[in-house]
Formats: sequence, C-alpha cells, structure tokens
Amino acid sequence: MKHTETETRLSGQSPPEVPQVDITLTVNGISHSLQVDTRVTLLDALRDHLGLTGAKKGCDQGACGACTVMVDGRRVVSCLALAAQCQGREITTIEGLSTDGELHPMQAAFARHDAFQCGYCTPGQIISAVCLIEEGRAETEEDIREFMSGNLCRCGAYPNIRAAIRDVKAAVHDVKGES
Amino acid sequence: MTTLETGRTVGAGIDRVDAPLKVTGSAHYPNDFSLPGMVHAALVGSTVAAGRIRGIDVSRAEAAPGVLAVITHLTAPALERGPMTLLGGSPPAPMQDDRILHYGQHIAIVVAESAEQARHAARLVHVEYEAAKAVLDVDDPRAEIVENPWGLDTQRGDIAAGFAQADVVVEDTYTTPDNTNNPLGLMATLASWHGDALTVHDSTQWPHNVRTSLATIFKVPESGIRVLAPFVGGGFGAGLRVWSHVILTVMAARQVKRPVKLVLSRPEMFTSVGHRPNSVQQIKVGATRDGDLVAIEHHGMSSVAMEDDDYEPVSFGSVVAYACPNVLTRDRQARLNIPCPGSMRAPAEGQGNFALESAIDDVARAVGMDPLEFRLRNYADEHPLLGLPWSSKALRECYLEGAERFGWSRRTPEPGSMRDGRWLIGYGLAGVSYPFYQVPCQARASVRRDGSAYVRSAATDIGTGTYTVMTQLAAELLGLEVEQVRFDLGDSDMPYAPQAGGSGLTGALSNAVHTACRRLVQEFLDVVADDAASPLRGAMLDDVTVTDGRVHRIEDAAQGESYADILARHGLEELSADGRSTPPQSEDLGMALAGAFGAKFVEVRIDPALGLLRVARVVSAIDGGRILNEKTAASQIIGGTVGGISQAMFEETATDRGTGRIANATFGDYLMPVNADVPDMEVLFVGGPDRATAVGTKGVGEIGLVGLAAAIGNAVHHATGRRIRSLPITIDQLML
Repeated sequence: MKHTETETRLSGQSPPEVPQVDITLTVNGISHSLQVDTRVTLLDALRDHLGLTGAKKGCDQGACGACTVMVDGRRVVSCLALAAQCQGREITTIEGLSTDGELHPMQAAFARHDAFQCGYCTPGQIISAVCLIEEGRAETEEDIREFMSGNLCRCGAYPNIRAAIRDVKAAVHDVKGES
Repeated sequence: MTTLETGRTVGAGIDRVDAPLKVTGSAHYPNDFSLPGMVHAALVGSTVAAGRIRGIDVSRAEAAPGVLAVITHLTAPALERGPMTLLGGSPPAPMQDDRILHYGQHIAIVVAESAEQARHAARLVHVEYEAAKAVLDVDDPRAEIVENPWGLDTQRGDIAAGFAQADVVVEDTYTTPDNTNNPLGLMATLASWHGDALTVHDSTQWPHNVRTSLATIFKVPESGIRVLAPFVGGGFGAGLRVWSHVILTVMAARQVKRPVKLVLSRPEMFTSVGHRPNSVQQIKVGATRDGDLVAIEHHGMSSVAMEDDDYEPVSFGSVVAYACPNVLTRDRQARLNIPCPGSMRAPAEGQGNFALESAIDDVARAVGMDPLEFRLRNYADEHPLLGLPWSSKALRECYLEGAERFGWSRRTPEPGSMRDGRWLIGYGLAGVSYPFYQVPCQARASVRRDGSAYVRSAATDIGTGTYTVMTQLAAELLGLEVEQVRFDLGDSDMPYAPQAGGSGLTGALSNAVHTACRRLVQEFLDVVADDAASPLRGAMLDDVTVTDGRVHRIEDAAQGESYADILARHGLEELSADGRSTPPQSEDLGMALAGAFGAKFVEVRIDPALGLLRVARVVSAIDGGRILNEKTAASQIIGGTVGGISQAMFEETATDRGTGRIANATFGDYLMPVNADVPDMEVLFVGGPDRATAVGTKGVGEIGLVGLAAAIGNAVHHATGRRIRSLPITIDQLML
C-alpha cells in the first residue's frame, strides 16, 4: 500500500519572495520604526522585534486570548492582526499598564486575589479585564463570566479572576459615588 | 516526625512573591528569551500513523529564503536514547530511521533566520510514505498487550469468596477518552552551544532531567550543560520528559552553530508532549445488604505508544480506598500507533476514581443507603494493604465537614426528586485517597552580612506557588521576614530537585529546605562555639531558636545575637548550608505514608428538554496535611477542580480511526472550560500536619481534579436516574 503526500498547490513553483514593509508602531506611547516581513503578526512584532514579551502566544489562532492587547482602546487578539495593519494605531500592552512603577488597580487586584497560577494567560486576562470595565460589560456577574470567556486559563483561576474584576469594578463605583 | 511547630509566616495566605512579575508581563517564560544570532526552527510532522518514509525531498525547503538547514533521518547524527529516570524510560531518540510509529511524529526540522521563514520552508518538505495500516484501537486484535506493566497488580483476600458473600453486586464497564494536557504556554526550547557546553531554556518541569538526558543523548559532560526554566507556562505533566522537539532543537543548534529557538504550535502540542491515555475499565463491586463492602475487582486497560512507556495504573487506586477484605486489581496496556501518552494531572487516579466512585454510588443505592453513609461505613481506618495506621488521615472530617458546608442533608434520595423550575437538580459526591509520593531532593540556604537569606533548589514553579511557599518556609525557619528571603529555582546549576509532579515536590523540597535552614543555624553556632564575646557560645542547636533575624537561647531571648553581628565580628560575608530530604519509609515509622485525602460535593442542574448540564456548586474538603499558604493551596484545589469539571464534561482528544490524525488539535475544536463554564466554589482544608515528615505537608497539586468526574456523574444520576459511564458527559447522553 502506498500513500503519497503531495503539495500540489506549491509543487514546481520556486518559493515566493516575501516583501518587507517599513512600518511605525506606537506602543505604550512610544513610536517604533521597523522593517518586517509582511507575514509578521502584531504579536510577533511586539515580542520578537520590540522585545515586549508580556503578550503571550498560546495558540496563534485567536482562540485563547493570551496575546490580547489594546488597539485604539479595544481588545484585540494580536496573533490575528498583522503588524502592518496596526500602523498609526495606539497599542497598549501589559508593559504599558502600570504608571511610574505603580501597578494598575487591575494588576494589584489580580495579585491580591491570586487570579493566576502559572501566569502565562495573565497579561491577556488583565488587558481584557481592564477593557471589560471600560466597555461597561462588567455590570453583572453574568456579564463578567460571558465577556471574559475569550481568555482561556488552563490553570483554572476563573473564580479568582472574577473576584479581582468585581473588586476593581466596585472601587470604580466607590470613586464615582464620592465625586 | 513533624518538628515544624510555629506558624508565624507558614500557612498565611500571603500574595505570591512572583505576583509583581506575573501581572506586569515581566516573568520570562522559555519562549520569551532571545539570544544574539538566534535563528528559528520549525518541525515537519508525519501525516500518516504507521509505515515508512519512502522518500523525503528537502531541496525546495533548502532553497527557500533564509533557510540554514533542513535535517531529516537521512542527515541526522546518531543519537543515544535518553536514560532511565525516576519516571521510567526516556522517549526514543528522534529521526534515527525511516519508520513511522504515529501521526505527527517529527520527521524533519527546518532552521531559518526567521520563524516565518522556517514555518514556510517546513511546508515545502516533500514526503513520500509507504503507509501501513495503523493500530489505533485497544480492541484491535493486532495490538500487543502488555500485562501488569508496572508490577502493581494486587490481590488480597479471596475475591471469589468475597463475591459469594455479597447480597448485591454491580458490574459495569467505564470508558475515559484521551485528554491532552494543553498547558497554555506553548512548549519552547532555546538551545545554544559553546563547544561542548550547552545552555538550554526549556519548558520543563524538571531541569535536572533535561540536563542528564541531553548529556547522555549528545555524549557530552553534564557539567557543561545548564538548563533554565524560571517560569513555565503550565505543564500538567507535559513537561516531565525530554521530548523529541527538545532533542531536535539541541541537535539543530549544534549543526548550524547558532542559538536555535523552537516553539511548538498548538496542533503540535497534541502530538509531541504526551497526553492522558484513554481507558477501558471493568469494575465489579459487592456488598452485603447491611452495606459492608465484601469484594472489589477492578481491571484497567490503557493505550500506550509502540516503543515508549507511560505509568498509568488506573485500577491501583481501588486497592487502598476502602476497608474491603477482598480486592483484586489488574492493569494492562495496548500498544498503538499513537503519540506516546504521558502523565497528565492526576495520571491514573483521574481515570480510576471515576469508575470506582461511580460504582460505589451504585452499590450504595442498591442496598438502600445514603452514599455518604455508605462511604463512612466502609472507611479504611488503617492502610488496607499494609495493615498500618496512616501517618495522617482526615478523610472522615472531609466527608462530614464538606457535607455540612454543602448542605448534603437537604438531598432527597430519589433520582429526579429535586427541581428548581425547569431545572432538574442533582447532588453527588465522591471520595479521594491520593497516593503518597516523594523522592529525594536538595536545597541550599545562605545568610548574608546584611541579614538577608538566599535559598535555592533546581525545582520548577509551574504555577503551584513553589516560589512563595518556600520563601515563607525559609523565613519561618530562619526567623526572618518574608521580604528578607529570596527563594530561587528553575536552574539546573542549583542543588538537585526532582520534578514538579506526582504531588511530590512540596513534600520533598520543603523537607530539604527545612534541613538546609536548620544546618545553617548550626553553622552560625559553630562559628561562635568558642567565641567568648557571643552569648551563644557553646549553645547546641536544640537550645536555640530564631526570631527577628537573631539566634537566641530558648529559655532567655536576651541571650542571643543577630546573623549580621556574627558575620561581621568574624569577618565573614555569608554562611551557607546544604540540606537534603529522603522519603520516609513506612516500615521505619510503623505508619502507612499518606497522601492527600478529599471529599468532593457537587450540585448539577440539568435542563431535561435540551440536555443542558451545568455545574452549579462545588465544595471540596481536602486533607492536605500542613498547608504552607492558604491562598495558593486553595488555588491549587480550585484549578484542579476546573480540570476535573473539564475531564467530566468537556475534554476528548479525537483520533481519526482511519488515519490516526488528531481531528480536533486546536483550541477551537478541543473543548475546555471557559470562564462562563466554571462556578464559584468552596475549598475547605481539614486535618493537620502529617506525622511522617518534619514539615508535614501533603501535596495538593492533583487531588483537586480527582473525584469531580464521579461526583458529577453521581449528581447526574441523582438528577435524572441515568448513569453515564463514558466521559465526557455530553448533551447527547442527557437528552431525556
């Protein structure tokens, strides 16, 4: 019995040359000019070209959320965005969340509630959680559960992640109530 | 015997010491590292499950932009197979011949300047196979059967006589599917050679094993190899072995003379780093009408790879779970054309407990007894095989306190008798007796001139909290604040540590740290033994204690001095001491060594019209011995519980029966719980320090998972009257 595996679509052709593009990415308020292969994703540009390894690669297929970053204030799975598409947009990664060495309230809440174990999904969870509140989608427990379901945590810290978000949400309410 | 008596910092639920790094993206996992001149690798996996490679054409791949090397079995150097380890044999050396033993087997590695170029070129490798008909099913008559693979088959009493006494016998077959570990961190290796010396960043749970294995495989001195894994993106067992991709990356780096990084793709994670093998289990349980167990017979069959090994004694847990006079357990494996299985969180226990604890519920119902009462009636007060008292066992308290917290007494026994509107409600429980496991471990502790301490061991923290709990323990033992202690790990140049696995690391490492810290205090006493200026002159270790960075006499706290003062007066920069732990032995102690125990209580809700199954509540009552940090230990149980819910209701690796291809090897297709699937849950720790070791911990990394499948299955039965004997429990099984 013989079975032949073929790559008919590509066979006989010489490998294509892939064009390089010059792009400028604005990440955490800093502008970076770089030349990349057009196939480079935003995630790989951040990690491999800019040394910002906070955003993580868990699937490279947009299914796990570990690579979540903010692009123009919206959460984006950066493994499904090409770097070249992000020219001129404001990108915020986990490295840009704390200011002057002070943790963002969501980062502090994650630490306090032990909302992670291995920590690999954590940067994506935190970015997603920050956006969740800004999107107004943390109003109910059901909303938090539903709208955080794009971020997988294989260690199973989900209940603690929700507790951290509730905590930050309540603090936001308190601040608003006082003002 | 337990000697750690205080609880100043130990036990407190402090935040993880590595939390600031993890929440800021500053914790560096193996694939976060880069080196100057680093290039990237990609793998080519077999697309057939059995046969031979007739031809492999790499010319187009080699000609692709940026490609530095394409290595196949035709060009790979001869490699030794890795050594025997604590966990059994090493995987076979990769790419040594033209044989294909499973789908996804690595048959070429491509190295290129960029990851994109390497991945593209890997697709240009043209392979012709001579495919054979793969053996893919444990029932295939061609499958070689390995009987009693670990010599653990047991028989006590007279099993036939036991069943003859039984008034009630239940006998059924249970099946569990392949599950894939799928830590969220894609496993990565970054290898860099300098002559015969080698540095490797690797997603391992056991740096020393990587070091020893690579030394054997590449025939280079172990002293030149350094393996680093300060952070690992989970493991759940996938990082316990030195798998093919690690070896190939190291091989490629040697050939191209540049640092090489390889990151497995998610589909490759399904075929390259182990998985929980499927099981077929026959279980038969007999009891008298009074509710006394008289016989348990449990047969387990698991799948294993053609030329590799996996430790998976699924029936063995039934030996010690209950006080039953007649018990027989048998395990077998069928060799298949599959990627090799490996340990996945609670290997064997996770599968075996599902069958046992489901059958126990069926027996209890058959004799008309509450399932909780039945379990308490058959409680094993002493170790059923050894006939010795346990070093600790608070399973009774787990049952009673868990039932109280859960509200078990509200349960009405008839199936389908509890409802909330359209939802049928079911209560279920399961008991767990997790096996004891500990292997030798070492640690080193130093105190410096400024009074701070540095403690280290080549362990890994895969999310369990090892950094944190060992910092707390060392602070306790040295009389320092947590902030004055740094505990470091994840480097094979540190003292030897075993794997993070088998729920055994905390016990092994904490007792090594205990010994190191005690010896370090002794070092200070040795320095001042003849020092007329020291109030500690001539003091023995048992005469002193440590508080606030000072060593002082127990009977008079004023009679002492600080570490810093002793070091300064004697012109020393630091003092260090090594400690090692060896596993306690039952025969020496006259006690049966106990692992953790637990009772799991679950409420499910089922919509009978739609077959929807929801887990509404979980209470886990755990006897984990001494708990070093309430917060991280509870997280272990919560995370394990999510894994258990996942095993019960979601996970199933689907292998195509014709080709051996994994049909759902992506996160889009392989179901795991998301946030919305997981309820809030309660964790209770009961019992106290275990008597077998100085520190008295019992590992809690795996027990959280075990019992959920049975408890959920038992709750489903209570809600519907339907017994599900095949995991995962899916909607089609619940349409009423």
